[in-house]
Amino acid sequence: MKRPRLLISLILLVILALSIVRITIENSISTAGTELLKLQANVEVYKKSNAILQEKYLEDSSLTKIASSAADKGFVPAKNQVYLSTPLPLALKQ
Amino acid sequence: MGFRYRISLFFFLFLFFLVIGRLFYWQVVRASELQSLAEAQYGRQINLPATRGEIKTADGFAIVANKLSYLVFLNPKELKDKKELSDALAPIIDTESASISAKILPDRYWVPIKSHINNDSKDKIEALKFPGIGFQEEATRFYPEASIAAKLLGFVGKDDNGSEKGYFGLEGYYDRQLRGKDGLATIIHDAAGHPILSKLSDSTGKTDGRSLILNIDRSIQFMLDNTLKDGIEQYGAKGGTAAIMDPKTGAILAMSSFPTFDPRHFEVYSDDLYRNAFINDTYEPGSTFKPLVMAAAIDSNLVKPDTKCPICAGPVSIGGYEIETWNKKYNANESMTDVIMHSDNTGMVYVSQKLGLDRMVSYLDKFGVQDLTGIDLQGEVSPNVRQKENWYPIDLATASFGQGITVTPIELLTAFSAIANNGKRMEPHIVSKIITADGKNIDIQPKVLSNPVSERAAKITTEMMVNAVDSGEAKFFKPKGYRIAGKTGTAQIPVAGHYDATKTIASFIGFAPADDPRFLMLVIFDQPTSSIYGAETAAPTFFKVAKNILMYYGIPPSE
Repeated sequence: MKRPRLLISLILLVILALSIVRITIENSISTAGTELLKLQANVEVYKKSNAILQEKYLEDSSLTKIASSAADKGFVPAKNQVYLSTPLPLALKQ
Repeated sequence: MGFRYRISLFFFLFLFFLVIGRLFYWQVVRASELQSLAEAQYGRQINLPATRGEIKTADGFAIVANKLSYLVFLNPKELKDKKELSDALAPIIDTESASISAKILPDRYWVPIKSHINNDSKDKIEALKFPGIGFQEEATRFYPEASIAAKLLGFVGKDDNGSEKGYFGLEGYYDRQLRGKDGLATIIHDAAGHPILSKLSDSTGKTDGRSLILNIDRSIQFMLDNTLKDGIEQYGAKGGTAAIMDPKTGAILAMSSFPTFDPRHFEVYSDDLYRNAFINDTYEPGSTFKPLVMAAAIDSNLVKPDTKCPICAGPVSIGGYEIETWNKKYNANESMTDVIMHSDNTGMVYVSQKLGLDRMVSYLDKFGVQDLTGIDLQGEVSPNVRQKENWYPIDLATASFGQGITVTPIELLTAFSAIANNGKRMEPHIVSKIITADGKNIDIQPKVLSNPVSERAAKITTEMMVNAVDSGEAKFFKPKGYRIAGKTGTAQIPVAGHYDATKTIASFIGFAPADDPRFLMLVIFDQPTSSIYGAETAAPTFFKVAKNILMYYGIPPSE
């Protein structure tokens, strides 16, 4: 009769241990759904602000806007450009 | 086994098979029908539009992007006062109150009110706190450079089903690539019809559109647009068109046409303004055509640069017509180089006589004249091809100086790529790369269309064009120190069977640096009024842009 009692005790112990593990895990992940929703909401906010910022970046970096701002600040297009030619080696100079 | 036991067994077995049979009927035979009914009870299929691909210039700048916008919708079941809502929304979404009111049908759960509203309008509507109003994110086309290159880009409108569709230019040509594939999702609502928006199906089958990377250089496009616009104003022209190509690859670096439209409000412009003159309009190219005919004669070893013209001492009579020079000045025994420099019609008649009809037609074919170039823009046209048997001696003579023959500007530009590229005519291309939604790159490789002339003939013709720039009518506008090959053109416009002497198409075609061309450009003004000549209108514009490009590329003077 000793063996079955030991077996039953062991089984009960395992059941108890697994139950505790399950309760602990469920307790720790029970708020994950809410957290996930919050994260998803944050992603949406970032996506939206990213889209708005990209729009502003494109507007501000457009040549149309840059040219207009430059003209307002008094910049004028370069009329001439100076090119520096490579000097001849000293040995070739006369 | 007792009788009662058997009866009980059969009774329960019968019940069991009855249940099985009934379940089979509902879950297999009528499954799809019931599924549809159930879905209709708790949800509704909505279309999730794919995000249209962007169009980027060679520097990666999105010249056509997508802007965040919203579709305002309403659940009329939740609405208390239709008129109050319509009156409040009308000024915010710029729609009449009566139109909004008419859309709100009380038996519906979901009614779209207005699409493409911006973020500010959305915030204003939200602040009103009307029940039943919701927003669905959308994308609206956004043009950071405003109307620059509008005719090249095209615009996005609606098709017969109300779906977005690209029209004209790149939007039209690459519509299927740009639009992607819309997805479907089930929107769940409760018994009262309130949507549970957070529960959207993840597997929608949506594929966003592909993006285009262009050969267009944003800085060159900006320069060309502004200079061409200034030129049209300065020379009092009806319009103008120009394009710049890399003759070695066929890459189109810039393309411009005026008058134009604003793609943000395309609907307020006349349909005529959507057409891109550079690919849609045909014209008689006039003297800009002469180098092609000369190159053909050189390639056939019929003339050399120093060949003397024996018929250039005065007007030439052909088939009852008299052909004169543009300025009525004649140069007896001038060389072929001088024929191009003086833009001498009689000299070109001599060249055409040497060529003969068969060779002329064959070379025109090889240069792609009166043929589609295959440019990746919607709506390219090609003039009607004149059959060889319909050519009269006078047609051969006038075609040699670009009258009586029609081309599109893109045809002429592509034909000249052969002169600038050692005899190889390149296919013009606006797009260099297509990027798929998952980031894969599809490169578009340069393509040789034909080899109309030899490298030798191309080089000789280039030298003749360099001489035409250095010593011709437009020499004062040329940037100093650079070797630029070019040719002016002043073509009279045929009106009701005759040429109007006061109305011309003034043009200039050329490439630089002549020895190692980085760009090939054609500038055309339609009916300039300050001067009718290409040398006094198109040429200054050409050289102004050319000088800027040479500076932009950092190419120093070679002379």
